[in-house]
Amino acid sequence: MSAAVNEAAHSAAHTPAGGPRPSRRPSHKGQDEAFLVVDDLSVQFPTEDGLVKAVQNVSYSLPLGRTLAIVGESGSGKSVSSMAIMGLHDPKRTIITGSITLGGEQIVGRSQDDMRKIRGQVASIIFQDPQSSLHPYFTVGWQLREAYREHHQVSKSVAHTRAIEMLDRVGIPHPKRRADQYPFEFSGGMRQRAMIAMALINDPQLIIADEPTTALDVTVQAQILDLLNDLQAEFGSAIIMITHDLAVVAEVADDVMVMYGGRAVEHGTAEQVLVRPNHPYTWGLLQSIPAVSSEQAELYPIKGNPPSLLSLPPGCSFAPRCPYVDRVPDGKCRTDLPELISRSAGDHGLSRCHLSNPDAIFAAEVEPRIA
Amino acid sequence: MESTNRAGQTPILTVRDLKMHFPVKNNEGLLGGRQIVKAVDGVDLDLYAGETLGLVGESGCGKSTLGRSIIRLTRPTAGSVLFQGTEMATIGERQLRPFRRKLQMIFQDPYGSLNPRQTVGTIIKTPLEVHGLAKGKEKERVQDLLARVGLNPEHYNRYPSEFSGGQRQRIGIARALAVEPQVIIADEPVSALDVSIQAQVINLLNALRRDLGIAFIFIAHDLGVVRHFCDRVAVMYLGKIVEYGPKHEVYERPRHPYTQALLSAAPDLNVVRGVPPKEHIRLVGDVPSPIDPPSGCRFRTRCWKAQAICAEQEPVLESRDDSAQDHRIACHFPAQLEGLTAAV
Repeated sequence: MSAAVNEAAHSAAHTPAGGPRPSRRPSHKGQDEAFLVVDDLSVQFPTEDGLVKAVQNVSYSLPLGRTLAIVGESGSGKSVSSMAIMGLHDPKRTIITGSITLGGEQIVGRSQDDMRKIRGQVASIIFQDPQSSLHPYFTVGWQLREAYREHHQVSKSVAHTRAIEMLDRVGIPHPKRRADQYPFEFSGGMRQRAMIAMALINDPQLIIADEPTTALDVTVQAQILDLLNDLQAEFGSAIIMITHDLAVVAEVADDVMVMYGGRAVEHGTAEQVLVRPNHPYTWGLLQSIPAVSSEQAELYPIKGNPPSLLSLPPGCSFAPRCPYVDRVPDGKCRTDLPELISRSAGDHGLSRCHLSNPDAIFAAEVEPRIA
Repeated sequence: MESTNRAGQTPILTVRDLKMHFPVKNNEGLLGGRQIVKAVDGVDLDLYAGETLGLVGESGCGKSTLGRSIIRLTRPTAGSVLFQGTEMATIGERQLRPFRRKLQMIFQDPYGSLNPRQTVGTIIKTPLEVHGLAKGKEKERVQDLLARVGLNPEHYNRYPSEFSGGQRQRIGIARALAVEPQVIIADEPVSALDVSIQAQVINLLNALRRDLGIAFIFIAHDLGVVRHFCDRVAVMYLGKIVEYGPKHEVYERPRHPYTQALLSAAPDLNVVRGVPPKEHIRLVGDVPSPIDPPSGCRFRTRCWKAQAICAEQEPVLESRDDSAQDHRIACHFPAQLEGLTAAV
C-alpha cells in the first residue's frame, strides 16, 4: 500500500452514526501505476440474429486506491466489459479479444480453473441484486466461510471467525448471531452489506461494483457508498463502479468513462467529464437529469432510443440522436467513426466526437441549460 | 385542517384520516395468528385542480398503497376520500364508475401494465367503450391520443412488444388520458426507464399538465425528479406523512429530521460543480415493521433528537408559528429556521 493511500486511511473520519459527518469524497487518493489495464477489449456474442457487438475497443487503466465509474444506459456495454475482467462470460458463447491485465497478469484466454483462483482473491464483484446473489439454502456465515476457504487452507472455525469479523466490519449488528441466519432473514441493505463482506473477505485488490445501490433506498444507498469509500481508504483497493446514476458518480468517482453503444465515448476525471464534458451524449445526459439541490426549469431529453447492438450505425453510434451532426462538414458523423482522443486545449478528458469546437458549444448552448 | 387555504381555492380531492390495513398471517401458534400491517395509517391530503403533489419516501412507507387506496384499487379500511365534495372511499363499485373516469392511474412497470395480446389500439379503446365515449369515432380518438403522447398514430395496430420501454410508458399514459381524467395518480412512472428516456416522459407529463390542466399525485423515490415536477411534496414514513408543504419549503427548509436525513442521503450531481458538499446525516438501522410500529412518533427509533415525549405522544402534522402557513411538520422538535440552509 502506498504512502498516499495510508494517508487517506488516516484522514477518513469515523464520526458516530446518526450525526452529521463529512462528505464521502476523500480529499486525496493514490496516483500509483496502473493495477488493472484493459487494452482494446472487445466482447461479442454470436446469436441467431447475428453478432451482438456488446463492447468494442475499450481501453482504460486503474491504479490501486482509485475509483473508476463506468456510466451508460441499458445495453451500453458497461456491465459486459466488467464481467470480462472477472472471466464470467461463457467462453463457448463469447468472443473476447484484446487484453486485460491484473497486476501484470493476463486474464483474457485463461481457463476457468485459473479464473477461479483470481476471482475473489485478486478481484471481486458485487452485484445489483443481493437477493439473488446469495444462496437461499445456506446461512450467510456458511457462505462467507466457504468463500474464504476457497482461497485459504484453514479450518472451518478459523474461517467462521473471519466471516464474523467481516460481517462486523461492514456494519452488521450482532455479527455472531447474524452469521447463523439465512439471507431471507436480512433486509435489503443488510444483504448488500453481507455481499460486500463476501466480496472483501479475501482482500481483493480490485472490487467491481455493478449497480450496487440501484435496488436500495437512498438512506441505505448512502450507507453503502460510505462503507465502500471507507473500505477503500482502509485497504487501498481499486474500485470499478458501474452505474447509470450520474449523481452517484459525482459523489464517488475519481475517473469516469461514459459508454454508448458498446464504446467509450468520453473518458477523464470526474470533474473533466461531469463539469467540462466534450461529447454531446454526455451533454444530453446532464441536461436530462433534475438535480436534487437545484431547480431546473426545463429538462432537455435526448431524442430517440439507444441503438441496437446487432446493427450499429456506421460512423458515430450517437449520430442518429445527436443534435449537432449538421455542425460537422460532409456528413462525416454518419460515415466515419471518430477516435477517442483529446479534443480541445485545456483540462478536458478524451472524447469520441468530430465536433471541432466542443468547448465553445458546451459553454454557449449546453451549460446554461444545466446550471 | 383548513382546506381552502390556497387563495380560497377548494381542493379537487380531499383525503382525511385515510387508513389501509392489511391482515397477514403469522406462524405463531397451532393455526397461526393474524396480525395487521398498517400500511397507511391516518393520512390527510389536499389536491388542487391542475397542481402536482409529490409523494416521497422509502420502500414500504406506504406511498404506493396510499395512491392505490385513494383511487380505490383497494378499498380503504377507514377514512374519507372526497372528490369534488363526493365521498369515494365507501361507495359501492357501481356508484364508483363515474369516478373512475375522473381519476386515472399510470403504473411503474411499462412491461407488466399492458396486455401483451392486445393491440395498442384495443388497449386505448377499451376505456372509451367502457365509459361510452367517442362513440363511432373510437379509432380517430385513439389516433389523436397516440399523437398526443408522441407516438405514431399509424401504429395503433401494433402490439406492446413492438415498442421500447419509454414508448410503452407513453401507451400507458394515452390509456389514462382516453377518458379525460381530472386527476392522474402516477406511481413511479419513470423509475424503470433509462435516464435519456426518463426526461422525455417527464416532459410529456409536464405538457399534459400545462395543456390539459390535469392534477397529478406523483409517487416517486427520486427526489430530484420530484423537485423538478411537483408543486408540493408530502414525505411519508411508516404509513404517515411527516412533512408536507410547497416544494421550495420542503427542499430548502426541511424541518423534520427524517426529511433532512432523506435529502442529505440523496446523491447530488452538483458536488462536482463546486457546490459545497452537504453534511451527511446517516440514519442507523432499518425501518421498523409496520405490523408493530413504535409508539408515539414512528421515526423516534432512528432519530437523533428523540426524547421521552416522542415515545409517549404522537406528534401532530401541523404548521408551526415560524413556518410558512402551508408547511406542516409532524415532529416534537422540528429544526429551527435560522441556520437551516447552512445545515443541510
